[in-house]
Amino acid sequence: MAEFSAEVYQNEFLSEGATDVHAIVTVTCTGAGSAGSGGAAGGVAEVIMVDTSGSMSGRNIEAAKHAAQVAVDQILDGTWFAIVGGSHVANRAFPYPNARMAMVQMEPGARAEAKRAIAMLSPGGGTAMSTWLRLADQLFATVPQATQRHAILLTDGKNESEPRANLSAAVRDVTGHFQCDARGVGSRWQVDELREISTALLGSVDLIADPSEIAADFEKLMQASMARGVASADLRVWTPQGSQVLFVRQVAPTVEDLTNRRSEVNPLTGAYPTGSWGDESRDYHVAVRVSSKPVGSEQLAARVQLAVNGEVVSSGLVKAKWSDDESLTTRINPEVAHYTGQTELAAAIQEGLAAKASGDEATATVKLGRAVQLAQQTGNDEATSRLRKVVEIDDQDQGTVRLRRNTSTLDEMALDTASTKTTRVRR
Amino acid sequence: MSDDESAGRAAAPDAPATAATAPPTASPELLACPACGELSHAGARFCEACGTPLAVLPTAGDAPSDPAPDGTTDPGPGPGPDDPTPIAGADGPAGATSNEPGPTRPGARPCVRCGGTIAEDGYCGECGEPAASERDHWAERPASWVAGVCDRGVRHARNEDAMALAAGPSATDERAFAALVVCDGVSSAPDSDVASLAAARAARDVLAAAAPGTASPVGGETTVRMGAWSALLADASRAAQGAILSTVGTMADRENPPSCTFVAAVVDGPLVVTGWIGDSRAYWIPDDGEAQQLSVDDSWAQEMMAQGIPRASAESSPQAHAITRWLGPDAPDPVARTAATLPDRDGWVLVCSDGLWNYCSPASDLSALLHATQADLGDDPQVLAGALVDWANAQGGRDNITATLARFVSAGRRPEPPRPPQNR
Repeated sequence: MAEFSAEVYQNEFLSEGATDVHAIVTVTCTGAGSAGSGGAAGGVAEVIMVDTSGSMSGRNIEAAKHAAQVAVDQILDGTWFAIVGGSHVANRAFPYPNARMAMVQMEPGARAEAKRAIAMLSPGGGTAMSTWLRLADQLFATVPQATQRHAILLTDGKNESEPRANLSAAVRDVTGHFQCDARGVGSRWQVDELREISTALLGSVDLIADPSEIAADFEKLMQASMARGVASADLRVWTPQGSQVLFVRQVAPTVEDLTNRRSEVNPLTGAYPTGSWGDESRDYHVAVRVSSKPVGSEQLAARVQLAVNGEVVSSGLVKAKWSDDESLTTRINPEVAHYTGQTELAAAIQEGLAAKASGDEATATVKLGRAVQLAQQTGNDEATSRLRKVVEIDDQDQGTVRLRRNTSTLDEMALDTASTKTTRVRR
Repeated sequence: MSDDESAGRAAAPDAPATAATAPPTASPELLACPACGELSHAGARFCEACGTPLAVLPTAGDAPSDPAPDGTTDPGPGPGPDDPTPIAGADGPAGATSNEPGPTRPGARPCVRCGGTIAEDGYCGECGEPAASERDHWAERPASWVAGVCDRGVRHARNEDAMALAAGPSATDERAFAALVVCDGVSSAPDSDVASLAAARAARDVLAAAAPGTASPVGGETTVRMGAWSALLADASRAAQGAILSTVGTMADRENPPSCTFVAAVVDGPLVVTGWIGDSRAYWIPDDGEAQQLSVDDSWAQEMMAQGIPRASAESSPQAHAITRWLGPDAPDPVARTAATLPDRDGWVLVCSDGLWNYCSPASDLSALLHATQADLGDDPQVLAGALVDWANAQGGRDNITATLARFVSAGRRPEPPRPPQNR
């Protein structure tokens, strides 16, 4: 049985007249078990979407087919699954198009047949990812008993066969129906397109530089999915009457702004979807504005809870205490400072790269310089080494950098996709 | 007696309340929503922004007919089965003699700030206010015309104030009886909350035992009763001292043993007798006319003023608030000084701790505050006491706050003894 715990890190002391309360809440899940173990059998469904557009011809399609087969090997028996080949249209590759069932439960025979179907995928046509997502959604809809739904999407190119609005509309329509990890192979795909998909569908986005690495990545992704024994959980944030939620962000392992995903539980409590959970811990940054109270007052500023199937399984209390003792009120909580910096780091990298792409070198230099500075301050060495491939660092403390000439697109894309990955506070 | 009384008058500072003085009125702070801070117009019952009730602080035992707010009815000493006018006393907080504020029952008490439900985590489910223990905030209402609210305030971690009330059933009886006792624990001495509650209850019990209708009531003409109550108030303060000594036990050996102030007012028909030790106060606040402080602080400032130092410099001195007399193991003199008065009109007897009067010390200011509150909220003494406590909290709540009120109906308005109807 999965167990959740919540720890709160904050400086609860506010100076006179202060109204904003910040806290980092670490939610940890243990004993999650494997996918489907928590509920009835057949509660889990997987769809693998492989790009079969013309651009995949050659090494890419062979590597992708191999990777899909490896992923199929990781799918536990009893899990509902389907394979989709995607170009400017989406085709169900397995179960075969003429099969009566849109999805089947995994068992050794189905596994062998699915691999055979994957081997027959052949490239051709354009790329319209909205059709892939909509087909996956239709497939999942045929197994309503499967409440834990996960998909992997692999592409190597731009979503060129349709307007961007089509993709956005599809993402909106399927949001909340399943989770999706998105992967781009090579350097010709668009980071923002896949990020839009993975962000809305509570998954991850990543770059696979070389086709030979797809299989290992798919294996890891599917293993992680199969280890998520908690189908779905909501982060709940209660705030007192008359207060305002400034933002709710996941800040580790990646930065995701959840603020606008709120659905109301009751007028004082909002629920933010967090998808499925394995044995892991995630950090959330919650900021609440309360009305200031006299020095000496105490008030609960937020209850941050995790709810599974509508039941609260863990709760952390965010408090506010007004004090005139400056030694208390001026103390900066290290966790809050760390993740505030990491969130700004992600934004600085993305804005810097966007400015560079549009030719605004002055802004790009300032933003990426700030990113270098923040990466150093928050101890994000991985970000620093990725930044080094894009900028020449003159002074890390001051954030003085020069843009490198002739940088590789892959390096910029790697920096971009990894920008939301955060490091944990050293405790 | 007359010396004390004139001293009491002299202590009513800045006596003539001229139009030029700006008394504290029901300021906007009084109607700032405690939950969201939204300002609402005078008389609003609910906050327009968030719906929090503004006027009435819901407290345990809010029902006017419930004399024992917390179900721990103390019938008070004295009244036997045949007593025609039983004196109701009510013991508020559980754990009267223990250091702990009583058994915690999560969810049992509504939030003192907004009336919401306290969640299991110990905070209000509506406004986030921490749950108050019974010792931190309670109300007593021994009769419909007598009530008090005792509150931790904002800045103190513990409520060292205490109160104990007793009353006969009606304010209009010829021998209407009420006893209001307030003790303010000295916060620099640890465990003074234990001392103050024991003291207040012991004193209340002494006074209630002599109420009309009890086995050994105070009797005789008004002037005789005046002397008897003065003596009883001295007894009550000695009993309070005795209760402290037996309650604190070995804590008495500390360098700073638990201690508290004492103030009590007895209403007996047309008579109001007050006794005090320290700087908790009793006021007479008539519905019209000049209010006055009935007690005279046993404080450094007061002593300096008595020696002719001007009020302004006496009260601005750093030791102004140091008290010169108190109750406790190291008390110099546990006998209350007393004063008696025969009010000639209707009004309120207000007995309070410095948590309230620090924000409006002159009797005229307190009178203006009470009258403005009464105009907003009506005549219910528990509502008014609660509103005075709220007001002090809105001013900063720097100390524990206790406000107790008894409605005084003057002899002239009392129902006349039965006589033949007059022809008009």
